[in-house]
Amino acid sequence: MSNINARCVVTGLGMINAIGKNVEECWDNALKGTPGIDKTRSVNSDDCYAHLGAEVKDSDIEMNDKVDRVSMLCLQASKEALNDAGITNANVDAARFGVIMGSCVGGVVSIENYIEKGEKTEDINKMTIASIANHVANMAGAKGVVTNIGNACAASTMSVAYACELIRAGVGDVFIAGGADAFASVPFAGFTALHALSENPCSPFNKSNGITLGEGAGAIIVESYEHAVARGAHIYCDVLSAGISSDAHHITAPRPDGIGQMYAIRRALDKSGVDKKDLDYINAHGTGTAKNDEAEFLSIHTIFDDANDHLSVSSTKAMVGHCLGAAGAIEAVYAIKALTDNKVPPTIGYTAEDLEALKEKAGKIDFMPNEMKAKELNYVMSNSFAFGGSNASIIFSKNEGKMSEEENNESIYVTGMGIVLPSGNGVEKYIETVNNKNKVDGVSLVSELGKEDFDKFDIKLAFYRKLDKLSTMQVVSGIEAINNAGFEFNDENAEDFGMIIGTGDGPLTTVYEFQEHISKEGTQNGSAFNFPNTVYNAAGGYLSIKTGMRGYNVTVTNGSQSGLSSVCYAANEIKQSRTKVMLASGTDENSDVMNKLYSQLDMVAKENGGIYENEKGMVLSDGSVTVALESASQAASHNAKKYAEVVGYAMTHEGVEYGEVKGSDAGLKNAIEEALKDAGIDAGKIDAVFGFGNGIKDVDDIEKNVYADVFNKEIAVINVKDYAGEARAAAATLALAHASLTLAGELNANQDAYIMNGGNVTKGSVDTTNFNYVLVTSYAVGGSYTAVVLKKA
Amino acid sequence: MNEKELEIAARIKEMLSENLRIPAEELDYEIPLFGDGIGLDSVDSLEIIACIDSEYGVAMTGVAKENFYNITSLTKYVVENM
Repeated sequence: MSNINARCVVTGLGMINAIGKNVEECWDNALKGTPGIDKTRSVNSDDCYAHLGAEVKDSDIEMNDKVDRVSMLCLQASKEALNDAGITNANVDAARFGVIMGSCVGGVVSIENYIEKGEKTEDINKMTIASIANHVANMAGAKGVVTNIGNACAASTMSVAYACELIRAGVGDVFIAGGADAFASVPFAGFTALHALSENPCSPFNKSNGITLGEGAGAIIVESYEHAVARGAHIYCDVLSAGISSDAHHITAPRPDGIGQMYAIRRALDKSGVDKKDLDYINAHGTGTAKNDEAEFLSIHTIFDDANDHLSVSSTKAMVGHCLGAAGAIEAVYAIKALTDNKVPPTIGYTAEDLEALKEKAGKIDFMPNEMKAKELNYVMSNSFAFGGSNASIIFSKNEGKMSEEENNESIYVTGMGIVLPSGNGVEKYIETVNNKNKVDGVSLVSELGKEDFDKFDIKLAFYRKLDKLSTMQVVSGIEAINNAGFEFNDENAEDFGMIIGTGDGPLTTVYEFQEHISKEGTQNGSAFNFPNTVYNAAGGYLSIKTGMRGYNVTVTNGSQSGLSSVCYAANEIKQSRTKVMLASGTDENSDVMNKLYSQLDMVAKENGGIYENEKGMVLSDGSVTVALESASQAASHNAKKYAEVVGYAMTHEGVEYGEVKGSDAGLKNAIEEALKDAGIDAGKIDAVFGFGNGIKDVDDIEKNVYADVFNKEIAVINVKDYAGEARAAAATLALAHASLTLAGELNANQDAYIMNGGNVTKGSVDTTNFNYVLVTSYAVGGSYTAVVLKKA
Repeated sequence: MNEKELEIAARIKEMLSENLRIPAEELDYEIPLFGDGIGLDSVDSLEIIACIDSEYGVAMTGVAKENFYNITSLTKYVVENM
């Protein structure tokens, strides 16, 4: 049962970084002010102006050729957290046990290895962020919600927040939440190009002349209070609530006026029921760049100066560097240790002269220079602010919180959509494609966007030239969805409008090309222009900058199903927060790079074969599809068209060895059964399925087997990949958009379908006129499944 | 512009087009690159500095803004400091 004020507690911690291989070492060294910064050992910085890094000691981490360094870091922290929590297969229901991990650059070390060490096939599956949570889920035996968050340096604060939201939504008891990033050439070259690296160890809130990159992982076992008590677990603290926002300002720089950061901080306080006078400690984002430190000083002073007389603020980055996507989780662990040990870790690096200067900047706030302090703590906050203008603040408490948010129990509707596909752009064009039964032709399809599309949505050259293809597709489909839904927002309520972007491969093309360039030209020659596009949340960041949407903004990434799980996440957000409208997207790219990688994995068809029958491989494609979701009263407020009602959804995982394309029928079956249960209907009510088969036999067979089992009768399966190809996350959202168009009667009633019965498939057609309930399904390599039930509105 | 200047201006235009995705047809040698013209920003200026450094060995870090005004002023600075 959902209960948005349900208690979530922390029962286990794990951490690895430059100053330790476990929580105990990392914590002791932080309290002592041990610096972890030294000349980088893993990146060639010979011709760069800065040479420092905070790398994990080689002796502190076990490596495995089959797994990228980022996943090894994450596995080590996760195992520590599980042991600490005493979680075993015997005391947790696997179906209610999930993994949410955050990362910025994911398996970028494997991209470098692939390019520089002979283009080995085994490196391909290690490249994306997606692999991280899958490895952890397989290690832990988790079969609940498994995904990653790709919001750069705020990713793993968001992953902890999302784990709590899922527990409060009633879909899980225990989550391993956190994040990881490995020290790598791409971020080093990128921050070098932006002149954002400090030549000396970073000096947050002090000299503020740049960052020092770090690496590591943090893992937190987040558990429902009842579950923790029932198994007699040691409880560290409560996780209260988080505030998440978007600056809608600039792709790399924070808003100088701090309003995005301040919204996140205030929202976290409000939702948590914590008065600002009672907050005891903030583990700040504190990167040490002038822009971050100025904005964060402003935000903290503005909110707390007149209200709080005892606040301590420190940045542990002075010791462990900026661990990017791992930063939020590592700093959350530090904040939790501070809370439970009643000790505040310092920000190191202040000289006597610096201390004088700090007095003026600090006011009544204690910025904890050089020395730790013992202090009674009850409420602590961790801040994370990222590229793309992503902000997240989260609060941990020694005691039960006073959360009193009201759940929004209204129906949720699909009220708008935007479509970018190789078959053409726009909802109208897609309707025409389907009604004319124009099926895909060819084995590799690429969508096109040109001046006509930009003019239509008033996107100027100065804006769109910055975007890579992934972001361009996302911005166009996003704006069309907003226009199609017909809602308007203004500066006053821009925080009530948010988005969840789903992507399987993210900006892999841009990251690959960035790496290829520095492999050839040297670490000192990275492109400042392209670097901002290497983060997974750049697409969502640009969409918020272009539209001014300043609310919830998260990018989820776990294979193709990310484009359908984004819908579940968005619907959940409407229920649990005051967000009025959520966009949910799926976006993935086809490019020479993607084609090369998927071809090397032997997944791309050599000739167009067909889905569910000839099994000749997939037609690689791309696109971006966005749907707008609104609750009933919000939709009514502007007479929105209701395409369909979202009545039930579920996300499951049934691990297979990561990278192997093979089915796990139980995973899909569980997702369907849970989604039907959530919708309160039985399988007999479902009129058709909008499926995910792509012409790869092992993928198609999952559907054939499971529908035979679940429906036990003839069922029509409509597959959007007939019209769009394997556009991965975009195809997953498209399946939901197509299903919504069908229920709304926007498409010709007679549609081509695959008629499945007991595992047999025949091509035919189906009359959709009287459809009332339909099921939308999706899958990801690794074994994650999402199912959504839609009802005629 | 003399022949040498024209050659440098053409190369700078090519770099702006390739590295900053500005369509060549939008660029002439006089159009303002920042502000209301092409709309470049500080990240773009880092890219321009890197390109000019690697192509001509001319360092433009910290150089006065007016030298970045348009392709003509960039060309002039490069010629004077090569």
